Amino acid sequence: MRLGLSAKFTVTVLVILICTMAANTLYFLGTSTRLHEQQLLERGRALGRLVSLISPEAILGFDFLLLNDYTREVSSQPDVAYGAILTPQGVPISYHVDTNDPYVRKRAREGGSVEITELIKKPEGVEDLIRLDYPITHNNVLLGHFLVGISRESLQSQLRRQVVIQAVVMGAIVLFLSAAIYGAFRFNVLFPIRRLIAASREVGRGRFTAVEVRTADELGQLAQSFNAMAQEVKEEQAKLHRQANFDALTGLPNRMMAFDRINLEIHRARRTGQRFAVLFIDLDNFKSVNDTLGHAFGDELLAAIGAKLQESLREADTVARLGGDEFLILVPEVVSEVEIERIAERLLQSVSEARDLNGRKVVIHCSVGIAIYPDNGESVETLMANADNAMYQAKAAQEGSAIFFTEEMNIRLRERMQMEQDLNGAIELGQLALHFQPIVDTAGPRHRGAEALLRWHHPERGQVSPADFIPLAETTGQIVGIGDWVLEQACRCWRTWHDAGVNPGFLAINVSRIQFRKRFSKRLAELMAAYRIPAHALEFEITESVLLDDHHQVAEELGSLRALGVKLALDDFGTGYSSLSYLKRFRFDVLKIDRSFVAGLPTNPDDVSLVKAILAMAKGLDLRVLAEGVEHHAQLEFLAAQGCDFAQGYLIARPMSEDAYRAYLTNRQANGDASNLAVIHQMRAAKGRGQL
Amino acid sequence: MKTRSTTRRNFLRGAAAGLAGLAAGHAGLGRASEESLVLGVFPRFSASETTTRYAPLAEYLRERLNRKVVLVTSKDFQSFWRGIEERRYDIVQYNQYHYIRSAKTYQVIAHNKEFGKSTIAGALYVRKDSGITSLAQLRGRTVLFGGGEDAMISYIAPVYMIMQAGLRLDEFTSQFAINPLNSVIGVYRKQADAAGSGDIVIGQPAVKSAINPDELSLLAVSEQLLHLPWAVKRTMSTPLREAIQSSLVDLENTETGRSVLKAALLTGIGKAEDRDYDPCRRMVRLVMGHL
Repeated sequence: MRLGLSAKFTVTVLVILICTMAANTLYFLGTSTRLHEQQLLERGRALGRLVSLISPEAILGFDFLLLNDYTREVSSQPDVAYGAILTPQGVPISYHVDTNDPYVRKRAREGGSVEITELIKKPEGVEDLIRLDYPITHNNVLLGHFLVGISRESLQSQLRRQVVIQAVVMGAIVLFLSAAIYGAFRFNVLFPIRRLIAASREVGRGRFTAVEVRTADELGQLAQSFNAMAQEVKEEQAKLHRQANFDALTGLPNRMMAFDRINLEIHRARRTGQRFAVLFIDLDNFKSVNDTLGHAFGDELLAAIGAKLQESLREADTVARLGGDEFLILVPEVVSEVEIERIAERLLQSVSEARDLNGRKVVIHCSVGIAIYPDNGESVETLMANADNAMYQAKAAQEGSAIFFTEEMNIRLRERMQMEQDLNGAIELGQLALHFQPIVDTAGPRHRGAEALLRWHHPERGQVSPADFIPLAETTGQIVGIGDWVLEQACRCWRTWHDAGVNPGFLAINVSRIQFRKRFSKRLAELMAAYRIPAHALEFEITESVLLDDHHQVAEELGSLRALGVKLALDDFGTGYSSLSYLKRFRFDVLKIDRSFVAGLPTNPDDVSLVKAILAMAKGLDLRVLAEGVEHHAQLEFLAAQGCDFAQGYLIARPMSEDAYRAYLTNRQANGDASNLAVIHQMRAAKGRGQL
Repeated sequence: MKTRSTTRRNFLRGAAAGLAGLAAGHAGLGRASEESLVLGVFPRFSASETTTRYAPLAEYLRERLNRKVVLVTSKDFQSFWRGIEERRYDIVQYNQYHYIRSAKTYQVIAHNKEFGKSTIAGALYVRKDSGITSLAQLRGRTVLFGGGEDAMISYIAPVYMIMQAGLRLDEFTSQFAINPLNSVIGVYRKQADAAGSGDIVIGQPAVKSAINPDELSLLAVSEQLLHLPWAVKRTMSTPLREAIQSSLVDLENTETGRSVLKAALLTGIGKAEDRDYDPCRRMVRLVMGHL
């Protein structure tokens, strides 16, 4: 059983009081008993002395009647059971027994003899009778004895009464004191403690109620300390609440708060039957701002955009920063999609406004995905996921646009997820394969090597385009494993061909930015050592996106690759930022002109101008240039005429399997120069037909 | 406690009256004996008890005689006897032996009636378990007599019977209790072998309450002797003597007289003549050897 503080205190007080009172009572009774007994003895002694003093005359005069008077008078005294005068020989000559004495009556009731001859016998052990014996003398002659029997019975009954009275009084005192002490304890201790308990429970529930401080004692100090603590907890909780629910940079609600608000809105919408919209905003290319202008600038831009978004919306709307460059807008009580469209437009315009930050002008756009409750989901997670999905679709379709979520997006998403799952087992199931597309000199055209191209043969979908699964693999991180596989397969093939006496030239291998982050050079060194691959046999094609990452790390990794002696090619040049600063900062061996620029050659003046400019720049930087997507002879001739070093495309050869490429190489090697002549012949023949 | 209080009150009252009487007596005897009569009572009881018992009688006689009657108590027998010898008492009550001794100067006129009887006999009591069944067995034994050697009923009469049985005074031990009642109680308490007392003592309430009389037996009883005598000085005039005698004898005939008797614990007073005490004289002569 668990006892409360009050019960424990009361029990303790009761025990102490009872023990104290009991000890006091015992002491009092003991003292009282001794006093009473002493009084009895004194009374007996007084009677004895008196009777022994006055009796000689009567004894000498044989005045038995007078002696009888004496004994009667003595025995009539309180607590005297008998008085007796005996001869020196012990013969009673006068006595009187008080038959009303409690001892005598008790003795009579118990069947004992109340004859004087029995009563005057010396008691054995403790008796209820005190027997006092006083000699009666005259001129030093013993005349007899006066015996007086003092009864303890009345004393004991008196003591019993006293015990009862004491017990009653003690009980009353104990009850009164207990009640008084309990009352004082309850008022002075228990109530303050209960107030503290109640206040602490309130604190536990998040309600900070100050405890009233009524006294300056320890409990008062405790209450003060509690209040101080509660205040600190309150402030700390407010701080934590702010940290937990608000974004420190923009002061906007964070992801958690956004979720709560959406959740609340869902509940309200369920009650009212109204609709609301969730707008997922992602800034386009914000990373480049961070990279080029610094993170501090990026933070300022985010804060400015957050403030702008808030200005652009109604008070009832919620703007939250989900993290990074992602914002969320909650628009309650939506009447129509048109209204949302207008809001989205306003947001797009607000974000796209040119900003002057720290003296630098910056323009940034955003993509917006919109999900509407309950049409696009009835839970926070669904709405968020769908809005996010729509945002990605918007970003994929056209940056700086807003798109409503549709079910098709989900279908695509599911397909993407299925593809992701399938891709997990693609290597083990042997569904991946490397194909090789030859690279030749434009002037020769002499064989130089081949680009290793990844192919995925899906058992259900058939051939899956790398354009479909490579971005997905990069997103999911699967590209690391796949890239490693590609690298090893390429090394293995090269070694196999070389060992077979076939000269495969170099192999150009695409490297993802994700691979680049994972100490690619270290793995390459291991494989080169394992397969005894010479450095000139490998060329790695890197897109500009790789260079967008941390410059230091990229430079370090590129330096490591250079140290291995392999060649580096900048892939898809012209399609991205085509920042000349990259070419200056990082040293490449080859520039690959994207097929989109080659396609319009030699007739499209823009493509012609662009390709000429790239070639001129490359020459200036001492870079060799490879044009991909060469499908027509005119293109090849143009490129050769303009000084492009290498060509790759269907005109030369389509990508082919490992075995086909080996056969291609064997055949080329068997024909020697004829091989090159055959190609030229083939090219001329194609020119004659007007097609490749 | 009530008994004690009453006793104390009576004692105080008696002492006060005695002192007053003594003062008055001395004054009367010296100044006008014709006017005041002195009533002397032998100290059978304490002075207070005596006063309590006989003050009403003195008052009664004053009214009857139309003369002042002063009750005089004595602290002991010696002083009382001196009063007899000095003839200080006009009217006196004492025992038979006293009267016999003072018969030359005092003339008996009446006697007490106690418990409805005019006579009383001396008696000897023994414990039934003592084995004593005859007076002769008292030889060498101790006899506890009530009062002193001048006690007519409790000493002289019992000794007379013992001597009549052939024992001499020195053949038994005489001890004396303060009164006849105590002599009987003393034997009961085995303080003596026989008790010399009056024949009515055994029936007294005081004795009955103190002992179990059934454990005692009456060894011998004397002839009946006239109760305590009332005497007047022989020099008193006849009319006064007769007036006193008639006043005493008339007590039991009036309401007032009966209350006086009741106070004195008497049932009556009868006439007496000197020869009524001759049996006593016979006993005294034998026991005392003189008269």
